[in-house]
This record gives sequence, structure tokens and C-alpha cells, in this order.
Amino acid sequence: MTSTGYLILAIGIIAALIVIFVVSFVLYMRTPAPKGCEKLGIGPKNCEECDVKGCMIYKSHHKEEE
Amino acid sequence: MNSIKRGQHKASFLNGILRENPLLVQVLGLCPALAVTKSLETAFGMGLLFTFVLVSSNVIVSLLRKLIPEEIRTPSYIVVIATFVTIVKMFAEAFLPELYSSLGVFLSLLVVNCIVLGRSEAFAGQNGVLDSFLDGLGNGIGYTWAISLMGLIREILGLGTLTLGKVFSFFGDPLKLPILKSTTLDALGNPTYDYSISIFQNPAGAFIVLGLMLAIMAAISNHKKAVEKAKEKALKLEMAAKAALEGGAK
Amino acid sequence: MEMIVSFILAIVSYMLIDNVVLSRFYGICSFIGVGNKVKSAFSMGLAVTFVIMMATLVCYPLYFYVLVPAGIPFLDTLVYILVIASLVQIVGLFIKKYSPALYKSLGIYLPLITTNCAVLGVVQTNSDASLDFLTSLANGLGTSIGFLIVIVLFACMRERINGYNIPKAMKGVPIALITAALMALAFMGFGGMVG
Repeated sequence: MTSTGYLILAIGIIAALIVIFVVSFVLYMRTPAPKGCEKLGIGPKNCEECDVKGCMIYKSHHKEEE
Repeated sequence: MNSIKRGQHKASFLNGILRENPLLVQVLGLCPALAVTKSLETAFGMGLLFTFVLVSSNVIVSLLRKLIPEEIRTPSYIVVIATFVTIVKMFAEAFLPELYSSLGVFLSLLVVNCIVLGRSEAFAGQNGVLDSFLDGLGNGIGYTWAISLMGLIREILGLGTLTLGKVFSFFGDPLKLPILKSTTLDALGNPTYDYSISIFQNPAGAFIVLGLMLAIMAAISNHKKAVEKAKEKALKLEMAAKAALEGGAK
Repeated sequence: MEMIVSFILAIVSYMLIDNVVLSRFYGICSFIGVGNKVKSAFSMGLAVTFVIMMATLVCYPLYFYVLVPAGIPFLDTLVYILVIASLVQIVGLFIKKYSPALYKSLGIYLPLITTNCAVLGVVQTNSDASLDFLTSLANGLGTSIGFLIVIVLFACMRERINGYNIPKAMKGVPIALITAALMALAFMGFGGMVG
């Protein structure tokens, strides 16, 4: 294959990856959580020892609180 | 109106520098802070490149915030950030080869840096371009001074000398300052004095320095809180005493 | 035979001597953030292992058989992060749909795996150092097992620390970092084990 062919292939693959990423992300977000895990033990219990204020778990918990 | 706006701009710039310092207060971005702080200059260079990525991704995300649908926010932020990291990598490879080789893989790891992604999600996605720019700049400066301080401590304690101009080599020959270890040699070929502690150049030293710095920051903020509480208490007591006095007078 | 020996030696060296957390500093955020629960540390470690192995398998051919021949090796970081993020989402999707038990123990950590430097770090070093396929696999395997070991040991230690009276300012992250420093000192003892 020529290098132009490879370039087109590479660009195609990158575009495909972006599409796969976006689709899987949206699908993941839209899939409802299984029964009993809607709130997944995110709570002050998990956060009292660590206090990394920027951590995603901490943030999502404190958003719920507000 | 204007002054309110100006106040907001000022707040978004200043918050990141000290009060909400990304490394020392929010405790984010630990990986590069531990890995690239063997010397002052590498740390400072990392800080500069980091600031550039943060500012430009903040600006672009803020410009695009009305175009990006709510659902695919995170993926598009990741793509924007990865683009800027690629630009920075190519720039560093071309113009700062020494820095590029000493940062190594951590330049690419800026893509998954919690601070960059976090600022995009928490700030730039909701705020205007100017505010996002200032927020990125403030956070970048805050992170840069924090890791530069770490680099300074680790270089002086670990190597005993301070080398300037090795990474940013366009100012001529590097300058090597003796601090804990002399740069002159005695007759046997050993340095005339050497009080450096080489553990600070090791990974363990990085953990110790960062741990102590965070502890000092926590101690300061605890102290401030305690002082405020004491003040409040005193104020309350005073009010109570006044009320009692007035009641007595009646 | 020689190949197998060098493969195993490479795994050991990536696992213990160049430990991912304690000497290469990847994945500190999840290391500190996963807290003091041994069980969740273990499941986090397993999830990271899985993602690292999958990412190594996918990214290696992508870099050497697509990006390099096309003349755009500088786009590697962009491609890797896309691959890793998609992998995490797809794995998460399967777990969410078909295994509620697994989702219960892993669910909150799933978004953290994408931003775990260890995954991107492994893939990126593989291509930066132009490692061959077998060494790349060893790098992935060694790194992820090393991550698992360290994160579980660390959770055990933090569980113990909780019982002690430490200065107020040191609570939380500072004492965790000091503990990590002591662990790093211990792991320095492995240096020079593989010649």
C-alpha cells in the first residue's frame, strides 16, 4: 500500500475511534443502573478518610447533597 | 455592574493561585508533581507547558460550550485536550529537547491530568471565554509555583547544588550554584563539603516532600479556622455580656 | 526457552523494581483515592489490569502497523486516549448490563480508570521506547500486577493507620504520602534483583 493509502486508513481509523468512543459513552450513560446499585455506596463514609477534594467520587457525592 | 464583573474576573484568576491551589489545596495532579520535580528547572518547564495546555483547552472548551450537546461533553473535552497536548509535545520536542527528554512520558500524560479535565468540566464548560482564560491562567500559575517549590527543595536537599540554564539553554552556559555541596574539588577529587541527602532525589523523597508540604498547608488552614472560630466565640460572648448588662441596667 | 526466561524477568522487573506507583508514579490519584477498603482496592486493581492488557493489545498494532507507515506517529497520544476511553466505556457498558454484582463493587471506579495514568503510561512507554510485542505485553502485565499488589498492600496499611492517633494536619492525604514514601523505600530493596 502507498503511504497515501495508509494516511487515509489512519484518518479513517481515528474517525472511527471517535465515533466508537462517543457512541459507547452515550450508551453507557443511557443504560440504567441495575437494581440496587442506583446509589452505589457513594457517601460520606467513603470520603472521610481521604479528602481528595477534587476526586470524582467526592464531587458526585457532594453534588447530590446540595 | 462593571465592578461586579471585574470582581468575578479577579476571583477566577486569583482563586487558583492560592486559595484553591490545584496541587496543595485540591490535591490534584499528583503524578506529574511527584515525577518531574527532581530539579527546579524541569518542574518549572513542566509548569509552563501545563499552563499552556490548561489555558488553551479552557478557552476552546468555553468557546464551544454552546455547540457541544450535554451528553457528549466529556468525550469532546478529551479530544480537545489531546489535541493541545499533541501540539505541546511537538513544540517541546522541537525547541526544548532537554526538557522533552527529561519529562518523557509525563508530557503525554497531561491528557489524563485530573486538573485539566476537571477545570474543563467544572469551570470552562459553564463560564465565558475571558473568565475561563483567567481561570486557566490562575490555576496554571498556582500549579507551577507549587511544583517549582517542590523541585527547588528536592534539588537543593538531594543534589546539594542548584543548576540554572541547563533546560532553558538559550541563555548561554548553565550555572551551577553550590549550596549544600561545594562545586570545587579537594586534592582527593571529593567535593570540599557535602551535606546533601540523596534520598530526596529518589521516589521516596518525592513522597516525603509532597506529604510534608500538604501537611503544612493543612496546618495553616486548620489554624486559620481555629482563629476564626475563636473570634466568633469571643464576639458571641461579648454580645451576651452586653445583653446581660443592658438587661441588668433595665 | 531463552525467550520465556527474558519474558518472566521483564515482568518481574516491571512489577517490583520499576514499580508503577512507587517508582514510576503512574496512577497516584487512584492509589490515594481508593481509600482504605481492601476489597474495593482489589476490584479496582483487577479492572485496571484488564483495561491495561486490552489497551496494550489494541494499541500496539495500531501504532506499528497503521500510524508509523502512514507517517503520523505524533498522533499516538490522541489515538491511545480514544482507544482507552472507548475500552473503558464498552467494558463498563457490559458490566452495567450483564453483571450487577460486579457493577456494585466497581461502578464508582469506572470513570476513574480512564483518567488513570497507568493505562496511558504503559501504552505510551511501549511506543516511545519501541518495545517489541512480547516486551510490551510483559510491561502491561508487570505494571498491572505491580499496581494490584501495591494498591492492596496500601489499603491494608491505611486500614491500620485509621486506628492510631495522628496529628490533625497529617490526616488524610499527607499521612498516606508518607506511608507511600516508606513503601517506596522498601521497594528500593528490589533494585538490582534482575541484572
